Amino acid sequence: MSHMTNPLATPDQLYQRRSFSALPTELQDAIFFSAQCLTQAAGVLLHLPQSTTAQANVLLARYWLVEPFMSDDYEFSDMSAATLYLTAKISPTPRSPRDVTNVYTYLLSPSSPFLRPSSLPRAPNIPKTYYLSQASYQAFHARLLAAEAHILYTLSFNTHVALPHAVCITYLQALDFLAQQRKEPLAKRALAHLNTALLSPQMLYLTSQPNALAVAAIYSAARDVGAKMPECEWWEVFDVDREELGFLVVGMRSVLGWARKMRVDVPGMKDGGMLRRADVEGEMRRRGLFLGNGRAVGGEEEDPEAEMARKMDEKMAEMEARG
Amino acid sequence: MSVVESREAGNGPSPRSFAIAHQRPKASFTGCSKIADYEVLGKLGEGTFGEVHRARSKRTGATVALKKIIMHNEKDGFPITALREIKLLKLLSHRNVLRLEDMAVEHPARSNDKRKRPIMYMVTPYMDHDLSGLLDNPSVHFTIPQIKCYMVQLLEGLRYLHDNHILHRDMKAANLLINNKGILQIADFGLARHYEGEVPKPGRGGGVAVREYTSLVVTRWYRPPELLMHLKKYTTAIDMWGVGCVFGEMLVGKPILAGDSDTNQLDIIFDLCGTPTDENMPGWRNLPNSDCLKIRPRPGNLSHRFKEHGPGAISLLKELLKLDYRARINAMDAAQHPYFKSAPFPARSEDLPTFEESHEFDRRKFNDRRAALPPAPKGGEMIGRGPPPEGANGPNAGFNNAGFNHADGYGGRNGANGSRHPFRRGPPPPDERVPAWHRDRGLPAGLPPRPPPPVDYNSGWDAGPEHPDSFRDSRDRPPARGRGGGVGAGRLEILDTYIPSYDRELPRRDDRRRRDDWDDRRHDWDRDRRRPEFDDRARASRTRSRSRSPIRDRERERDRDPYRR
Repeated sequence: MSHMTNPLATPDQLYQRRSFSALPTELQDAIFFSAQCLTQAAGVLLHLPQSTTAQANVLLARYWLVEPFMSDDYEFSDMSAATLYLTAKISPTPRSPRDVTNVYTYLLSPSSPFLRPSSLPRAPNIPKTYYLSQASYQAFHARLLAAEAHILYTLSFNTHVALPHAVCITYLQALDFLAQQRKEPLAKRALAHLNTALLSPQMLYLTSQPNALAVAAIYSAARDVGAKMPECEWWEVFDVDREELGFLVVGMRSVLGWARKMRVDVPGMKDGGMLRRADVEGEMRRRGLFLGNGRAVGGEEEDPEAEMARKMDEKMAEMEARG
Repeated sequence: MSVVESREAGNGPSPRSFAIAHQRPKASFTGCSKIADYEVLGKLGEGTFGEVHRARSKRTGATVALKKIIMHNEKDGFPITALREIKLLKLLSHRNVLRLEDMAVEHPARSNDKRKRPIMYMVTPYMDHDLSGLLDNPSVHFTIPQIKCYMVQLLEGLRYLHDNHILHRDMKAANLLINNKGILQIADFGLARHYEGEVPKPGRGGGVAVREYTSLVVTRWYRPPELLMHLKKYTTAIDMWGVGCVFGEMLVGKPILAGDSDTNQLDIIFDLCGTPTDENMPGWRNLPNSDCLKIRPRPGNLSHRFKEHGPGAISLLKELLKLDYRARINAMDAAQHPYFKSAPFPARSEDLPTFEESHEFDRRKFNDRRAALPPAPKGGEMIGRGPPPEGANGPNAGFNNAGFNHADGYGGRNGANGSRHPFRRGPPPPDERVPAWHRDRGLPAGLPPRPPPPVDYNSGWDAGPEHPDSFRDSRDRPPARGRGGGVGAGRLEILDTYIPSYDRELPRRDDRRRRDDWDDRRHDWDRDRRRPEFDDRARASRTRSRSRSPIRDRERERDRDPYRR
């Protein structure tokens, strides 16, 4: 029974996702990054162990590998909530829908510091902005469960995720790093790289097995803290070849710089907070691009009142027709 | 499937080939199959999981069994128990363990239905028989080589599970499937869980337990004495006791320890194996339930009862049915027992005779049978359905003990066993498939007397009488309330519970139907027997509507409360 490996993305899947999506690449990456950050933030507020939150990150990445971002009607934050809820449910530390709902409501409110650029002043804490009415709770709850089911079907119930964190510690021990006096910086740094890799829009956890991720994290961390590594090609011992190591190291180390730049470049990200579908659709409209299959996203939006009136008319007509 | 594939590839020596081998086939993340990928060949009956259909895969042509899991308007989403079992099964791969081949989804025809939940099916290879059904088939007589052949396979499968840190926790004849190629597979991981500590070593029995789990597992007739006395720090030895019971059952053709209550179960165990003493079961006086026992000392009559089966069988049976769980033989040692090395030797699987299909659930088609409950485990399945091999502390604390439905066990496939002691009769519904062995004879009649509700277990979690209903309630529920299920939150963490502990007095929920679909109707037997011509769907809908409002309130309450701890 192997717990150590993950199913990986095929090059085809990666290519298709990149090339045939309706969304420009930078928007895709921004959505992915902010959703993964949101999952992490929620994991912290829900007091979930990082092992659980990280698995949720990987599941969400798997989901978006196969499902395009805009294909369904869920908010990106709903998918984040559903994967986190699902992962917690099968973990040692389940969380109630109520807790998940509360946390997400807070994170998505204007009071939350989530992804708020440091250039902006601290958001004032206004409890009213994250008050959750019974109706909105019910609505969120329904979306949560629907999204959960959707994720399960999409992933064919493959909820097992092998994380590289434990492997990484084992490798550090094997390399005799943990016996030294100053052991924390290296191990800490390596784990930090692994956690960063979760956010990478390159979906590193879907392209490499845990052993490769662990080796790359150790390699990067050793460079960061100036630790002396064996002279030989030590990664071969852990079944990783030079090419993959190089790719992963570059991938991991580029996340920070990329994220900084992205947060300036992508319009929806400037004011902080989670990207919403409306932001993405608005941005697409601004660029003169269209989303959806003939759905007039770019066209006039129906006035909500007019829409309601129209729906009621339809309903009446239907009832009359029936009765 | 994916995990298995990647694992096989994992042996590749060079990193490069390793990486290449790990490239996923295109199917990797393509999701579940559609039900349309299978040609449904008809309902097989109701298994432990509820409805089971036979089907043919349009892609591979293989005959498969489809087990239905219905999603209901669950407050907590997809049933945690089903999730755990699926996750666990996906990680297992052994010739003697039932394989989960696929998940198939059926979307409702029109989505204008308000509750448009898709229906999920677990796809497993089709197996012609289960052992319980086979033993009930009057035209089947097991030969000694055949019994040995099945035993060896059972021990191999169990050894694999135990080596992989899995306790099955529901070993019984009805959970052992057999096909016409003579292959035996262990099925139903609804109660299984990951265990901590060392795996069994040769000559060392089940080893030492390092932590507590819920003692409310295993169908009663197959439940070892230490569980009946509420030992919580148990080991893989609990599954070995079940193997002993199954072995005896194959020898004599019917369950050997059919107790009608937990107390009675212990009683008949002592009849067979002798009463516990400090020699044959060291430390038994320290077990929680031991002081309530009034024991009239007697030697066991095992040797006498199995005299005709020879000294080899008796010796193995004694090893398997040892009162002292520390000394009870483990799977790998049992497979090396001289019994299997002496004439008549175990048959080869391919040499075994084939039989017309017999399933335990055939019996259940008859109303009377349905009632025939096997002795249910006291906690039966309710306990957590499968534990996934998750990390260490199967934390799911809080889940398990929730209520135990003693009734649960009754319905098990095992219910079937009951038919061997039937006392009721009734014609089968007209359009149902009649098992071959029934076609030409009257229905066997009857059920065994229904076991009285188990003694109240006040220990641990489920303090409180076990109401079948409350059991029901908790059963499929996801763990959401993991930590605290309400009862001393602090120590919850260590207990192994999969089911949140809900309040005992819960009104009946709408899971009646769910139960039918997902795991069984074991809970319903008592009701059913009073209503011979009951109809599932009707019943389900009745129950459902009735329970609506109370649920809501309760839910709200719960939401507010236990999570806070």
